[in-house]
Amino acid sequence: MSSTTTAGTAPVGSGDVVVRLRGIGKTFPGVIANHDIDIEVRRGTIHAIVGENGAGKSTLMKILYGVQKPDSGTIEIDGEQVSFSSPSDAIAHGVGMVFQHFMLADNLTVLENVVLGAERLHGIGDAAREEIRRLSATYGLDIDPDDLVADLGVGARQRIEILKVLYRGARIIILDEPTAVLVPQEVEEMFDNLRGLKAEGLAVIFISHKLDEVLSVADTVTVVRRGTTVATLPGDSVTSRQLAELMVGSELPSPSTEASTVTDVEVLEVADLCLPDPAGGRPLLSDVSFAIHRGEILGIAGVEGNGQAELVESIMGMRPAATGRIELNDGDIAGWSTRRRREAGIGYIPEDRHRQGLLLDAPLWENRILGHQTRRPNVKGPFIDRAGARADTERIVEAYDVRTPGIDTLARALSGGNQQKLIVGREMSGEPSLLIAAHPTRGVDVGAQAAIWDHIKQARREGLAVLLISADLDELIGLSDTIKVLLRGRIVGTFDPARVTPQQLGSAMTGATEEETQS
Amino acid sequence: MTVATDPVAVAPAKSRFRLSWPWILLGIAGILVVMSLLRIVTGVDDLDSSGTIRATLIAAVPIGLAGLGGLWSERAGVVNIGLEGMMMLGTFGAGYFGYFYGPWQGVVGAILLGAAGGLLHAVATVYFGVDHIVSGVAINIIAAGAVQYLAGMAFTGVPGGGQTQSPPIDRLPSITISGLSEPLGEIERENWFVVSDAAAVLRALVTNMSVLTIIALALFVATWWLLWRTAFGLRLRSVGESPAAAESLGVNVYRYKFIAVITSGGLAGLAGGFLALVAANAFRDGQTGGRGYIGLAAMIFGNWRPGGLFAGSMLFGYTDTLRLRGGGETVHALLLLVAVFLVLLALWQWRQHGRRSALIAAVLGVVVAGIYMVSDQVPNELATMTPYLTTLLVLAVFSQNLRMPAADGKIYRKGSAG
Repeated sequence: MSSTTTAGTAPVGSGDVVVRLRGIGKTFPGVIANHDIDIEVRRGTIHAIVGENGAGKSTLMKILYGVQKPDSGTIEIDGEQVSFSSPSDAIAHGVGMVFQHFMLADNLTVLENVVLGAERLHGIGDAAREEIRRLSATYGLDIDPDDLVADLGVGARQRIEILKVLYRGARIIILDEPTAVLVPQEVEEMFDNLRGLKAEGLAVIFISHKLDEVLSVADTVTVVRRGTTVATLPGDSVTSRQLAELMVGSELPSPSTEASTVTDVEVLEVADLCLPDPAGGRPLLSDVSFAIHRGEILGIAGVEGNGQAELVESIMGMRPAATGRIELNDGDIAGWSTRRRREAGIGYIPEDRHRQGLLLDAPLWENRILGHQTRRPNVKGPFIDRAGARADTERIVEAYDVRTPGIDTLARALSGGNQQKLIVGREMSGEPSLLIAAHPTRGVDVGAQAAIWDHIKQARREGLAVLLISADLDELIGLSDTIKVLLRGRIVGTFDPARVTPQQLGSAMTGATEEETQS
Repeated sequence: MTVATDPVAVAPAKSRFRLSWPWILLGIAGILVVMSLLRIVTGVDDLDSSGTIRATLIAAVPIGLAGLGGLWSERAGVVNIGLEGMMMLGTFGAGYFGYFYGPWQGVVGAILLGAAGGLLHAVATVYFGVDHIVSGVAINIIAAGAVQYLAGMAFTGVPGGGQTQSPPIDRLPSITISGLSEPLGEIERENWFVVSDAAAVLRALVTNMSVLTIIALALFVATWWLLWRTAFGLRLRSVGESPAAAESLGVNVYRYKFIAVITSGGLAGLAGGFLALVAANAFRDGQTGGRGYIGLAAMIFGNWRPGGLFAGSMLFGYTDTLRLRGGGETVHALLLLVAVFLVLLALWQWRQHGRRSALIAAVLGVVVAGIYMVSDQVPNELATMTPYLTTLLVLAVFSQNLRMPAADGKIYRKGSAG
């Protein structure tokens, strides 16, 4: 039975326990990813594992799939204790995994992708083709073995991933954040597929941090927080608020404790921002308008891929095709270059710190200069001011608690949380008037997350305007003064975080209810 | 984000062109008709005489084998610009083992030395993660130096040999079917439209055909079968398309990359061996003359597929042959074909891609036609450039429609999956 620190009733499963994890622990250098994990999964059920980003869900599933070996604890499959040293071992015991990022070769056909690595089962010819057609028909996956993967959409690719797992005879299927890349209709279709698998007697383990989705499909929910299981609950008698509280524990920042600091001085005004799709589809952004005032945090909620990244990049001047009015401190900045915008006082915490925020193979003090390469203390005249930049990097490391051996360390050597703290420190220097924070706590540990939240609150108190993009609804509700919901490139709702629930936001994000609440 | 992709709108995929036997035969017939017309219009008989075709085959085989090496390597995701160096090693291997032990031993030696070059490239790129281009260029430089040094050691003082070349090597057996060769020669001399041209092609195939040429042709078929019809080939190609996906399914990525690059080296070595044993009858320093690079270009022209590569190497082999045989006069006749080709291309571009590229092709076509009209011979200096100009022209035209293996040239680290 699960060791539960809060409420924990035994879920009434519909079958035998097929997976039993007991006391699983895994430590990486400097980070405890998992400890004392206890989970039981039953045949013919959908078992959701929920938790925040960085709570240790993915590590746990990699352990179950044999990608990583646990440091302690036992895994039992069908009552038999097993030890996996590679995914092949897991596959041999009927465990299959669908990764968050699709593992498909675009230029190969569906058939080739599916049979790869399992050529011994049915060969690579007509027998395999027949088997794929049979599986596709049995589980309603609607897959043609001779399509080229490059021609298929995201939903179909995910079904291929599921088919790959079924083809290998898996009876236990792990899905890692399967809905992150899907649009709402595709999510529904996928859930129907999952119910089909369940009806055939398979066990589905479903990892997510989107609570509404979890509740709509899961029979049992296990909550993971800071690397350990804190509760296992039946899916039909729990609310998403309860789950949210279990997920964040006492870490959930409470909006009521922060007095409003919103002033009536507009810092950023965006009017009628449009961005056409270069590929010719529907516009990435249409008629987005909003204003952020001094001391205000504006949160943008939305299912990933609904225009958040494009909005941020338009404001930063990285999308030349954007049209509309963007005013910073009452000056029109629409035609400005990204550098000029930054110099005018925009700080930017990018969504993907490895791709945009840092030079991973440069030392910290050089990373300090990035984006501030025209300003003191980094330059003197046309030259880089090494001493100035280094001294200021020391200041950031100190003030923002960046845990590093020194400022000559390469950025790559830091943990995600410390990398992010360095970026926050850098963007807060140079006296910005607007801070754009895109997923500021994505993939960082809980300690760093709290620290980054504190810095954002601090910035708000000091009179910055903050544009906060996040997939974590609790983060949005906890930090924001106003929340706007972006759906298919349009703002479809404005909410007061003091009164809105994650469910309401969730339904606005998926377009279930449009324009329902106005604050 | 790809989220917006509407699966319904994308699903009816455009039918992809597949090379099937009817198409191949139709293509061969088309080429015969065009060449026959060109021969009659220009009156240059050497354009497709059996001698030219035989020479084309001999020029094409090293390019094709090198390209086949490139294909193996790049299908597994390793760019192999070191083909040229591996060919050099092959020429020396053929020269050394061919002279001291016998021609068949020379073939084996060429393959082994080329494979050694491939092994070096594999260790550097796959195991140590060196940039593929850097490693390849280094191999070319090392091979050039090593071959000079080894040749000096091996052949100085040997009768007929010297610092830069080996003594003549015994010939590999070649096959002539005299019962067919003679009558086909008769037909060829009649200069009948198409019939004589077909006879010339057949005559080239049954006269004095080296065994190594037949082996090379068989290697094309074997490569196609291995890479596209076996589980081994699927795994090898998957490593070049998406190594992370392959690894997540239990494919040993490093092992397949090693096999591919070493095979690549072996094929490039055999290409070099062909130069020393069949095209010439001795090893000479600098014998490869950039054919490794042209092989790479032929592979790109062939869209990383054996059939296309074969066509590409024949094209380059043909232009190379014209340079060596008739020179100015034949190349001049070819200009007419190029002009017609460019005009046709312009028409096609107009429909497919838009006006600008069509206009460029049309203007070029007119210019080439003009040169054809006002001159009656291409200067020999220019004729020498034909193969290289063809390479540039062909790649410029076709590169828009090519698709290389998705993970080609990318360094993959074990354990990146998941």
